[in-house]
Amino acid sequence: MLADFQVAAEAVGTSVKRFTTIAEAVSYVQGLAGGDPVSASYLTPEIREAFHGTVFATPDEYADTRLCVSFARAGIAATGSILLDLSDPKERSATALPLIHAVFLKASTIVADLYDLQNLIAEGLSSSGTAYLSLTTGPSRTADIERVLTIGVHGPKELHVLVLEGE
Amino acid sequence: MGKEIINEKIHDTFLRRALKNFAAAYPVARAKAFDGVDFETLRSRISEAKQSGLKELPDLVSRFKSRAEQTGAKVYVCSTPEEANRTILNIIQSKGADFLVKSKAMTSEEIELNPYLEKNGIRCLETDLGEWIIQLAGERPSHMVMPAIHKNKEEVAELFTKETGHDCPPDIPFLVQTARETLRSGFLAGQVGMSGANVAMADTGTIGIITNEGNGRLVTTLPDTHIALIGVEKIVPSLKEALDVINILPKNATGQKITSYVSFIKGPTGDGRELHIVLLDNGRLKLAADPDFSEALKCVKCGACANVCPIYEIVGGHVFGHIYVGGIGLVLTPFFHGFDKAEEILKLCIGCKKCNELCASKIDIMGLIVDLRDKIRKPIGQKFMFGTMMKNRKLFHATLRALYLAQKPFQSEGGRIRHLPLILNRETANRSLPPIAEKPFRDLVLESYSKLEDRSTKREKVLFYSGCLADFVYPEMCMDTKKSLEKLGYEVIFPQKQTCCGIPARYSGEMDVARDMARINTDVLLEEEADYIATICPTCTMSLKHDFPKLLEKEPEYHKKAVKLAGKVFNFSELAARKIGESGIVNKEATETVTYHDACHLKRGCGVYEEPRKVLKELVGVDIAEMTDCDKCCGFGGSYSIKYPEISQEVLKNKLENIKLTGTDMVAVDCPGCKLQIEGGLEAAGIGIKVEHSATLVARRLNK
Repeated sequence: MLADFQVAAEAVGTSVKRFTTIAEAVSYVQGLAGGDPVSASYLTPEIREAFHGTVFATPDEYADTRLCVSFARAGIAATGSILLDLSDPKERSATALPLIHAVFLKASTIVADLYDLQNLIAEGLSSSGTAYLSLTTGPSRTADIERVLTIGVHGPKELHVLVLEGE
Repeated sequence: MGKEIINEKIHDTFLRRALKNFAAAYPVARAKAFDGVDFETLRSRISEAKQSGLKELPDLVSRFKSRAEQTGAKVYVCSTPEEANRTILNIIQSKGADFLVKSKAMTSEEIELNPYLEKNGIRCLETDLGEWIIQLAGERPSHMVMPAIHKNKEEVAELFTKETGHDCPPDIPFLVQTARETLRSGFLAGQVGMSGANVAMADTGTIGIITNEGNGRLVTTLPDTHIALIGVEKIVPSLKEALDVINILPKNATGQKITSYVSFIKGPTGDGRELHIVLLDNGRLKLAADPDFSEALKCVKCGACANVCPIYEIVGGHVFGHIYVGGIGLVLTPFFHGFDKAEEILKLCIGCKKCNELCASKIDIMGLIVDLRDKIRKPIGQKFMFGTMMKNRKLFHATLRALYLAQKPFQSEGGRIRHLPLILNRETANRSLPPIAEKPFRDLVLESYSKLEDRSTKREKVLFYSGCLADFVYPEMCMDTKKSLEKLGYEVIFPQKQTCCGIPARYSGEMDVARDMARINTDVLLEEEADYIATICPTCTMSLKHDFPKLLEKEPEYHKKAVKLAGKVFNFSELAARKIGESGIVNKEATETVTYHDACHLKRGCGVYEEPRKVLKELVGVDIAEMTDCDKCCGFGGSYSIKYPEISQEVLKNKLENIKLTGTDMVAVDCPGCKLQIEGGLEAAGIGIKVEHSATLVARRLNK
């Protein structure tokens, strides 16, 4: 499943890196951030904990940060997609505005195809409250000028998926 | 359609190159995207779900509305574009806003929202790159998914230079970066954001948005107020059906397995935020209840019908469509924008059915276009031509005989017609024409008594339905058919009272005449008991086999007869293929190579494409060098090549290029129309490649 995910994700320009520990993955992301403040969307407490010492940006600063981090609820092997729960508008802006988006994904949550996520998505949508779920596949792209594929129009120009294999 | 604009598009070299490159790249990308996915199963499921949804559309609308309202969204059902425009204006004004930041919504184009809002002091900013280019140029989209496919980078650079005040070179990454930087301030300053939706789910009141650029997420996130403008037909019962739409749409639209972003939005997420859902009717609820045309609303707006249309490839979406373009655009225009807007564009379809083959929701797009022609104004004189002349077989055939004499002055050496006088000469510009024969097959057959060699076994009886073109222009092709079938062991009879199958009338919107022709031929062909009806013109085959029962649907007695007839109708190649393997008629090693052109109405009209190849390989004994786009239209389309010779000839040029690339010196076809078109094109271009009907090749082989 993970191997398929990696092939499909890389085919659309996603960088996929595999880690056995959260600490290694976080350290890789910190390298990408290069010391700049980071926009953070939802992260599990363990991952957030591992970021100690990293400066997180305030929502007003999201538009000017280079890197954002988030945690995926699941991945799809067939398309290399990740499912994010972005029901909080601030967490949504955090992943939409910066240039680089780094997502933590537990290998165990990768499913074969879109239909295998039906229950998880339905669950997210059936709760009494409001919801905003997003499937993200690769960086922002366009082919609107002469059909030439160009990466990074309005959303992030880079998508990094940090697969946590040991968790 | 104005000839001027057609010619302008034909001579727009950038547009032509862009569309041609896309037409070549699309099938490759699409096939890759569907790898491992069963397209037919998927689209059948979508088609069924959508069709049953249409039956209960008012109910789906009210279910969606009440669920969405429970999430805190405000929902408005607007029956007209005016009402939708007014509603949207009121929402914006209620927020004290004067700036709307938009992601792509075809519905917004449909109701011409931007001009309305601008007139009322609201600035609109399109943020989808293609839409922004179009907005800056003051044009309308020429493709549903790639709105600015007709614009080259130089034009875009000029528009961006003017808009930003900085010098923008025609460098695509630079231009995309310019859009990113320029539009970013728009997202941040936008007071109200607007989107469309690709799907809406009634059970949870959720909307689904599919985008690549990421602007959809920004306009639904940064401004506190989000307006979604959605056609009511986008509502499906639940997530299950929505996932099918999300699965098929990007694959069919752009050949992507999935787009960069798929967002499921349920209610106004976050404190102080508002979600206004404007559901657009604009004729949809009425259309959903229409017994003949409701299936048009199954459309998921993937644009595949334009992607594969040979006419769209030549003229683009500013000619081939109104606001919605491509095949389905032709169908939806009369219902959304009125018949006056649709009259001209409905005639532009050549009837090749390529769109049907790829439609994500299995709509009979081409059939709907033809049926809609019945509802538009007809040219003066057409009623006489079809109503009086074609219905009267003797008068019709006498006219064709008279034409034999009338054409004499224009025939050149060898009998072909290379120049027609004055206004008619457009017709022969890039295509020479075969003359009408001195004696049609219907006369020749009376003179030729063929003695059947073997009467010891009972032969299956075949009634030969030749079609008018073969009868009057290619009598020798008919003779070859008769001889081949006899050699293969059939008994062949030509019923003299057969007449035109009615397709020219039907395609010109004269449905009553088409019905008359269906009744006449049904009677004639059932008069004599026979095992099969053999045809050599795929359009006739399709007409007899599929159209007659449909045309006579409402007349129980005739319908029964038409169904009986349909069961006996086969194309020549099907009947010939059945006899392969019987003693004495299997060929040995192939010594020659030909290329094969699939007639649109044989492949997609009748589903026959294996048998012709089997006949060529195993009966005629030739190898086949397949050409690129072997099943793409040759541009004939019957009277289409006379109504739109400019377009027809451009479609033909593509076909000739592909033929030449095979390096063979023979094109085999199973259609007299394709032969006329391709042979005429090759002859006029001085290319020494022959075009023969399979029946002729079989006859030659069996006579050896």
